[in-house]
Amino acid sequence: MPTIEKDLWYKIRDGDSSAFGELYDGFAGAMFSLSLEILGDRWEAEEVIQDIFAFLWRKPESYAPDKGKFTSWLLVLTRNRSIDRFRSRKRRLDRGESDEILSGREDQNAADGAVEATASDERNYLRQAFAKLPPEQSKVLQLSYFRGLNHEEISKVLELSLGTVKSRIRLGIEKLRHTLSTLRT
Amino acid sequence: MESLKQQALDYTLGVLPKEESLLFEAQLEKDDDAQMYLVEAQEDCANLSLTANPVTLGNEVRTRVMEYCEPHMDFEPFLNCMEMERLRSSFSPSENRYQGGGLSVDLSDIQVGAIKDNVRTNYDNLLQLLPLLSGKSKAAAGEFSELQKTLRSTPSFNSGIERVLDHDLSSEDPATRSVLRTTLATLPSLSFFSDRLREDQANLADTRRLFYLCRDQLKIMRASFKDLDPDRLVDDEKLRLHGAGLLQTKWWGAEHAYFSSKGQVKCGHFFDGPVTERCVEFAEYDANMYCLANLLAPRSSTGDFHMELMKDAIPGATLAVATAKMSESSFQSMKFITGNISDVSGSFKQDHFLWKLIEDSMVRGHQSDHLGELMEKKVFGANRLGDQVYLWFAWPAIT
Repeated sequence: MPTIEKDLWYKIRDGDSSAFGELYDGFAGAMFSLSLEILGDRWEAEEVIQDIFAFLWRKPESYAPDKGKFTSWLLVLTRNRSIDRFRSRKRRLDRGESDEILSGREDQNAADGAVEATASDERNYLRQAFAKLPPEQSKVLQLSYFRGLNHEEISKVLELSLGTVKSRIRLGIEKLRHTLSTLRT
Repeated sequence: MESLKQQALDYTLGVLPKEESLLFEAQLEKDDDAQMYLVEAQEDCANLSLTANPVTLGNEVRTRVMEYCEPHMDFEPFLNCMEMERLRSSFSPSENRYQGGGLSVDLSDIQVGAIKDNVRTNYDNLLQLLPLLSGKSKAAAGEFSELQKTLRSTPSFNSGIERVLDHDLSSEDPATRSVLRTTLATLPSLSFFSDRLREDQANLADTRRLFYLCRDQLKIMRASFKDLDPDRLVDDEKLRLHGAGLLQTKWWGAEHAYFSSKGQVKCGHFFDGPVTERCVEFAEYDANMYCLANLLAPRSSTGDFHMELMKDAIPGATLAVATAKMSESSFQSMKFITGNISDVSGSFKQDHFLWKLIEDSMVRGHQSDHLGELMEKKVFGANRLGDQVYLWFAWPAIT
C-alpha cells in the first residue's frame, strides 16, 4: 500500500479526478478490508466504501491537513462508519449479542476466498504484531475497535473493572506502535 | 497528561460521552497538547485498522466510485418545465400519511390456480436463494458453486413469468394487479441476472445485483399478498424509516435488465434522508422505481438512463425521476403506453401494465379517489424536452 500524501488531498479538493482515482487505487483496499472485518458483510462493506468516497468528493474540506495524516483520518472514518452500521444492524435484527460479539476475527473471514495475494510489509508486520499481543489485550482491542463496544460494555462482557479495560486497550495500542516504530527505524 | 491522552483515544474511538466530547473539541481549538494526542490516537487507530485481514475489492466498485467525478446531468430544464411548475403550485400532501400495504390481497383471491401456485413457488425459491446471495455468503467471497447449483436445480424464473403472462390478465381487479406487480416490476431483471449466474461466468457484480433484486422481490411479494408470509409481513409493517440511500445504493452504477433489454443506470442527484416510514410502503415505492426503469431500459437510445430522487424540487414531496435520450418512435410508443387507452395489445400490453401499476400506486400514496385529478396536477407523468424523455412520480415527503 503506497503512502498517500497530503498532496493528493489538495488535488482532490481542487477537483482532480485522477488524484481521486489514485487515492482509490492506493487505499480503498485497506479501507474495505477494515470495513469487512467489522461488518462481515461484503455488500455492506462496499456500501461504506462508496459512501466515504462520495462524501470525500463532495466535501473534501471535511479533512483538515493540520490535524493529522490523511490516511489515518480516512481509516478512522471508515472504522467509525462501519461501527455505526454494525450497531444499527444489531439493533435492527435484535440478535443475541454475546455470541456475535465474542466471535473471533479469524472466523469471520475464514470463508473469504478473495484474499489479497500480497499485502504490504507494514501491514504484514502489524498483523503479526497484533497476533502476538497477549490474548487479554487483543480481546479487549477487538471488542473496542472492531466491535465498537464502549468501556462499560467491555467490562460487563469480560467481567473486568473499567480501569483494567482502559489499561489493556492502552497497552495493546502502545505495543503495536512500538512494533511499527522499530520496523521503521 | 495521561487523562488528556485517554480522552483523545476515547474521542477517536467514539466512546467519549457527548458532553466530554464537546469539551474536548473546544480544547482542541486552543491546546496544542490535545491536538498532538489526537493525531497520535488517530495514528494508533490507523495501525489497528491495518491489522484487518486484507481482502480485494472488485473493479466494479471502482467504476461506481469514479462515476462520482463525472459531471452531473443538468436537471434544471426539467425542474423548470411547465409540468413541474404545475406540480409545485398544486401539490399538497394528504393529512394522513399512507402507510403502505394498501395493495394487499389474499392468495386465494387469485382466480387461476396455476398462477397462485406460481406465486407461492417463486416466493419459496427466492427465500431459499436469498442467504446464498447475501454479503456473508460464499458467493460474496467469490465461491459460486453452491449458488449455481441451487439456481440450476430450479426452473428459470423467466419460465414462470411466461406462464403468468400467457393468461389473460387485462382485468383490473386487485388480485390481478398484485400478480402483475410481482411479475413485471422486479422479476424480469431478477430472472435475467439469475440466468446469467447459472452460466459459468458468475461474478461478484451480478451476485450483488441479484441479492438486491431478490430482497426487493420478496418484500414486494409480501406487500402484495398478505397471507404469503404473515410473520415476516408483521416485521415489514413496523414503523421504520427507509432512506433514499437504500435506493441510491442499488441503482448507482447498476446494470438493469427488462427481459432482453439492458440499460446502465446513472445517478447523481439523490437526496439524503427518509423516503418512507415502513417497509411495506418502501416495497411499493421500490416497485414504482422498477416500473420506471423497465419502461426506459428498452427505449433509451444510448443504452443508459438516469434514476434520481429529489427532495427540495417540490415542496412537501419527494420526486422520483427517470430519464433517457429517446428516438421519436420510442417516445411515441411511450406516449401511447402512458396515455388513457383502453385497447392495448402485443408488446405494448406489458408496458401499459407497468404504467397502470404506477397509476394505482399514486391513488393509494396520495390517498385520492380521483386519478384524473392527480394527472391534472402532474403528480406523475411523462414528457419530453429536446431528445430527453422524463418519467416521474411525486410521493408525500416525510416531514
